[in-house]
Amino acid sequence: MTAFLLGRLAQAALVMLVMSVLVFLGVYAIGNPIDVLIDPAATQAMRAAIIRQYGLDLPLWQQYGHFLGNVLRGDFGNSFVFRIPVLPLILSRLPATLELTVLALLIAAAFGIPLGIWAGYRPEARSSRAIMALSTLGFSVPTFWIGLLLILFFTVELRWLPSGGRGPVGWLGLSIWTREGWTHLLLPALNLSLFKLGLLIRLVRAGTEEVMGSEHVRFARAQGLPERQVVGLHVLKNIGIPIVTIFGLEFGSTLAFAVVTETVFNWPGMGKLVIESITSLDRPVMVAYLILVVLLFVAINLFVELTYGLLDPRVRAR
Amino acid sequence: MNRRQFLSATTAAALSPASLALAQGSAQGAGGRTLTVGVRSGPESIDPHWSTLGGHIEALRHVYDSLVAQDENLVLRPGLATSWRAVDDTTWEFKLREGVTFHDGSPFTAEDVKFSLERIPQVTGPMSMTLYTKRAKSAEVVDPLTVRFVTDGPAPTLPNDFTRLMIVPRKIGAAPRNEEFNSGAAAIGTGPFRFTRWEPRGDLVMERFDGWWALKDGATQPWARVIRREIPNDAARIAALKSGQVDMINYVPATDVASLQRDPTMEVVVGDSVYVFNVYFTLAEKLPRLAKVDGREIEANPFRDPRVRQAMDLAIDRRALARVVFEGLAKPMSQLMPDSFFGASPNLPERRPDLARARALMAEAGYPRGFEIDFHSTSNRLPGDSALCEALAQQWSRIGVKANPNAVTGTVFFPASTRGDYSLQMSGWGTLTGEAAYTYGAMIHGPDPSVGLGNFNRSGYSNPEVNKLLLDGSRTLDDAKRREMFARAAEISMNDRPMLPIVMPQTVWAMGRNKLSFTPRVDQETLAQLVTPKGA
Repeated sequence: MTAFLLGRLAQAALVMLVMSVLVFLGVYAIGNPIDVLIDPAATQAMRAAIIRQYGLDLPLWQQYGHFLGNVLRGDFGNSFVFRIPVLPLILSRLPATLELTVLALLIAAAFGIPLGIWAGYRPEARSSRAIMALSTLGFSVPTFWIGLLLILFFTVELRWLPSGGRGPVGWLGLSIWTREGWTHLLLPALNLSLFKLGLLIRLVRAGTEEVMGSEHVRFARAQGLPERQVVGLHVLKNIGIPIVTIFGLEFGSTLAFAVVTETVFNWPGMGKLVIESITSLDRPVMVAYLILVVLLFVAINLFVELTYGLLDPRVRAR
Repeated sequence: MNRRQFLSATTAAALSPASLALAQGSAQGAGGRTLTVGVRSGPESIDPHWSTLGGHIEALRHVYDSLVAQDENLVLRPGLATSWRAVDDTTWEFKLREGVTFHDGSPFTAEDVKFSLERIPQVTGPMSMTLYTKRAKSAEVVDPLTVRFVTDGPAPTLPNDFTRLMIVPRKIGAAPRNEEFNSGAAAIGTGPFRFTRWEPRGDLVMERFDGWWALKDGATQPWARVIRREIPNDAARIAALKSGQVDMINYVPATDVASLQRDPTMEVVVGDSVYVFNVYFTLAEKLPRLAKVDGREIEANPFRDPRVRQAMDLAIDRRALARVVFEGLAKPMSQLMPDSFFGASPNLPERRPDLARARALMAEAGYPRGFEIDFHSTSNRLPGDSALCEALAQQWSRIGVKANPNAVTGTVFFPASTRGDYSLQMSGWGTLTGEAAYTYGAMIHGPDPSVGLGNFNRSGYSNPEVNKLLLDGSRTLDDAKRREMFARAAEISMNDRPMLPIVMPQTVWAMGRNKLSFTPRVDQETLAQLVTPKGA
């Protein structure tokens, strides 16, 4: 187990290294960040001084070397735009994105798994066809468009919910402690969950259909077990592994790239921060963010793999 | 104070005991009104000396005052300085306002002005504020209310530059940087509002400062609390207004203006701006991206022929562009800044299209069948930029110039433009200081690092006569003479056509109908001190 964990950590370190090199090369390929950051009216002398001040006159490998040296000392540097340390800047946005993502996944799971099982259990029923049509909509209609429709309907027309922003923040930097916070959270979470909902319904349905025809289900039925137990226990357990895998991946990618939803709903999360950093070529924020994302994915994958063991005794035996 | 505001007030209060006292104070005060503004962009720090960015300056004008103020048309007005005069060629003397106090109660004096000026080079960021202070070599305190600046040669635009010089108290010392300002510890100004809290790309919350000096002069200050909510997405900003989340918004896109005007609960305010879209020809011997005639690349640069530039100018129907691309919310331009600005020429009439003459000029220049060229512009810098790029390409196709429109994000555009990668390009430029030296010195003077001019000259244009006018003009203290020189430089250069001014997009604000009065400013600043509730 220790060897396994160490292997994973080494892998993660390597991916993070490659990622940071890619970001440096990518920004370098676009051009000098100074040309985006600087006042266009700045004189030639001012421009040269600022380039020197930010070390952007050095060859790229030296800039990268400085960066790497600082990271090894735990310093990810300061944002070009805000001149405040990037790590606290990014982490201050984590709670906002975290609560949004978790709620979106919970919504997707709470509706997606039962609906998917039903659609797989009675594939010919009219209700199942309706569920499948819904799932197609869920992941084929663009998120930003649904987001705007949700705002138009619930906010502008009905005036039930706020159009964006985040409610008051309380303990742990989360906004789920007040009713106000929930009214802000609901629409973006719903918007974010639709794609996952569609995906989950399809996944669960396909798994259920397959498992329903398998021998152990037939045995279970022959044994005279009630249908509820057959589906709720034997079927669900057998479709568990792909669901957990997809869940993990989706959790990671949503946490890292909830950009569209965060933009439309003006949700002050990490996605919004990083997209704004990209448009201003704020390299320190971009690099630190993507390194954190790699770390996140590695952690989630690890967690997912450990979960397999809980779900499937055969994995544990290995 | 509604529930949401109350809750956010209590959150802020929980963060610092000082703001707790403030919140209680304002709750007891007479006018408990809150103004919530949905803005496209916000500050990058609470340090007023960190950045020259428009959104940064605008936000911090609530907390700090500048030495010199500008009215809504950018004409200079007394600010923290009540008067100024050039003592000799290289010395300016500013008389300061009496009885001004900072938010912490300490008096404002000449020492604070000297401290602020000297602090800027140490703390400013990549959007360097030294742009506006570099002419002042030193500051000397004559008496508590008089300060003198020694400049590196005659600096007639020093008062214009000092509309960006915001004053912080000397007693904060040399140490504070962005973090100390963002936390509020060093965020002490003389402005109409005290800083309460802010987070990068988040809300900026401020409370009324009852000791603001302008109140004594009859200014009103109806808002107990101002929240500037940063909502960069246009659709989200409009939704926030329509749902009542914010009281007013800035930068309404032209395409949404009609629907807001039809809405009986909404009201829009339209104002002129200082921004002009300009097309830049690259005049170098060899174009970075070669022109093509009949599909084959040619070595010659067609833009070096003035007839080609004139023909392309005559092919542009500016009124049609304003009508179609900007839904009527733009004005045709024939020089680089509005006619009312200092140094604008009265002799540059509106440019009307003339296709027959344009085609004749193309034939004379040796391009009867036109040519093909790549045309680049920004896609996200100013509203309408990418649509304007495509529309211009269409208009040029009428005289055989096949411009391939290529609107790219500013992240790509500006580095490439600085590298000189573009043959034909368009971007916007704002004359933020309200006078010609800022714009013509940067874009029209030949590139010359030794005098710091031509620093944004994208065409490579350099006309000795114009250069002389601009350089002499930048060193002439006599206003009338200087105005004449810049107007002359504008006339010559605009008729040489190294670049073509196209249109000035107007700025649109929106708010609930009959709720607020607001006077638009040409620098597009949305200042809470200029917003008043209707019927109050």
